[in-house]
Amino acid sequence: MMNISRSLALISLFILPLLSFSFSVDNPTDRRVLVLLDDLSLKSSHSIFFNNLKSRGFDLDFKLAEDSKLALQRYGQYLYDGLIIFAPSTERLGGSLDSKSIADFVDSGRDLILSADTSASDLIRGIATECGVDFDEDSSAMVIDHSSFSVSDVDGDHTLVAADDLVKSDVILGKTKIEAPVLFRGVAHSLNPNNNLVLKVLSASPSAYSANPSSKLSSPPQLTGSAISLVSVMQARNNARVVISGSLQLFSDRLFRSGVQKAGSPNKYEKSGNQQFVTELSKWVFHERGHLKAGSLVHHRVGETDEPAIYRIKDDLEFSVEIFEWSGKSWEPYVADDVQVQFYMMSPYVLKTLSTDKKGLFHTSFKVPDVYGVFQFKVEYEKLGYTTLSLSKQIPVRPYRHNEYERFIPTAYPYYGACFTTMAGFFVFSFVYLYHK
Amino acid sequence: MVKSTSKDAQDLFHSLRSAYSATPTNLKIIDLYVVFAVFTALIQVVYMALVGSFPFNSFLSGVLSCVGTAVLAVCLRIQVNKENKEFKDLAPERAFADFVLCNLVLHLVIINFLG
Repeated sequence: MMNISRSLALISLFILPLLSFSFSVDNPTDRRVLVLLDDLSLKSSHSIFFNNLKSRGFDLDFKLAEDSKLALQRYGQYLYDGLIIFAPSTERLGGSLDSKSIADFVDSGRDLILSADTSASDLIRGIATECGVDFDEDSSAMVIDHSSFSVSDVDGDHTLVAADDLVKSDVILGKTKIEAPVLFRGVAHSLNPNNNLVLKVLSASPSAYSANPSSKLSSPPQLTGSAISLVSVMQARNNARVVISGSLQLFSDRLFRSGVQKAGSPNKYEKSGNQQFVTELSKWVFHERGHLKAGSLVHHRVGETDEPAIYRIKDDLEFSVEIFEWSGKSWEPYVADDVQVQFYMMSPYVLKTLSTDKKGLFHTSFKVPDVYGVFQFKVEYEKLGYTTLSLSKQIPVRPYRHNEYERFIPTAYPYYGACFTTMAGFFVFSFVYLYHK
Repeated sequence: MVKSTSKDAQDLFHSLRSAYSATPTNLKIIDLYVVFAVFTALIQVVYMALVGSFPFNSFLSGVLSCVGTAVLAVCLRIQVNKENKEFKDLAPERAFADFVLCNLVLHLVIINFLG
């Protein structure tokens, strides 16, 4: 008796951690975040941003970027789910970190917030280039805008830009519209046109350009107008998310609290849009929003419930798939009217938009085309800001068996009659021909 | 002019009938059989023109059974005709046996193709 209860306790000791682990497997939000700073004073000057992350349940680990004990991995396991690099001037990262290990970190599906600033180091530029973002090569250049600068810009060189050209995406920037302009002081970047995963979240106005504010402009600036991106995001094919900002001040308490009035505009705001912008963007980048999960593809013939091993041409079938969206705390049903399924063999033979029951189930029904071969059900869902869904399931389609063709068709009765009449005629003819006198 | 034309046609028809009445009875029976087969085929073609060609295999087998029957009957007629010197060595019984065999094969194929 003693033995049994002891072994039970032992078993539960082993099983309990497994159970609790299995609950967090389905949880895509990052929990452990490493913050690399080039100066520990950033911890207090950017405290609103960091405290907001902490209050949302993130476990922030502040380290100096040159700390020689830095490590992202231990024994082949990543120690962190996310990485914030607020160290624009660092030339070399401490410990085992370099731009390759950060690229590997993103390749493993983990998230990154990278902020450059004026005089960004080659290391930071290199990491940004890996993500499809090219900072202005002139290291002393800043974004200057003589028409949409903030009136609180006391220096008079118009480098404190009030930007309001935001990407129109509820999933990246939240449902609440950001009313006040976002204050930005920093370096311009452009997007690599060959990279179609990266996009501008905050663009400069058409009158902006990138140059050194303290020297006279001798040649036309290389980056001008709305080609300049101030903040960009990249979602990799493995759904890792990266935010790249040209300004570290964008995240600072000072700009969070400062009021804003765009030059030439009568609207004066008590608070800049920075806090809302940065909070919503961090929710997106750490997978608190816009993360989709799909169940398996379910299909069966109309009127049946089991999945067949093979379909016949012209069968009627029903198809369904469940898609859920992570809300930061739980999986909510995903509602959209643009999810499509393909019935695919070399090219899509059937392309149907799925209808949803608003409880996460997307379904449709269609007829198998009059072509046999090995088909695939394919759901390829790529929507701005959402994680990419790419699902497929193979299914063969066979032609009719010889006994599945229709027989005794009423239209064909005259032909049947004619055949048997000629046979009867043959008998009658033979009889008459042989026995006539 | 008109009168003479119709009279010519009548004369032609009469001479044809009198010439045909001299044909032996067994050849007349074969002719009747051929007319029956061609007529059945025509009915089916008209029917197909009306309702469309959907069970096309059935239509083909129906029409081809009639056409095949007519062809085989004409072959028999050539072989049993006494005036045809080409087949004078062939016994009419042998010709009829060939005809029966060919018909059996034809109808076997037709039934298979009927659907």
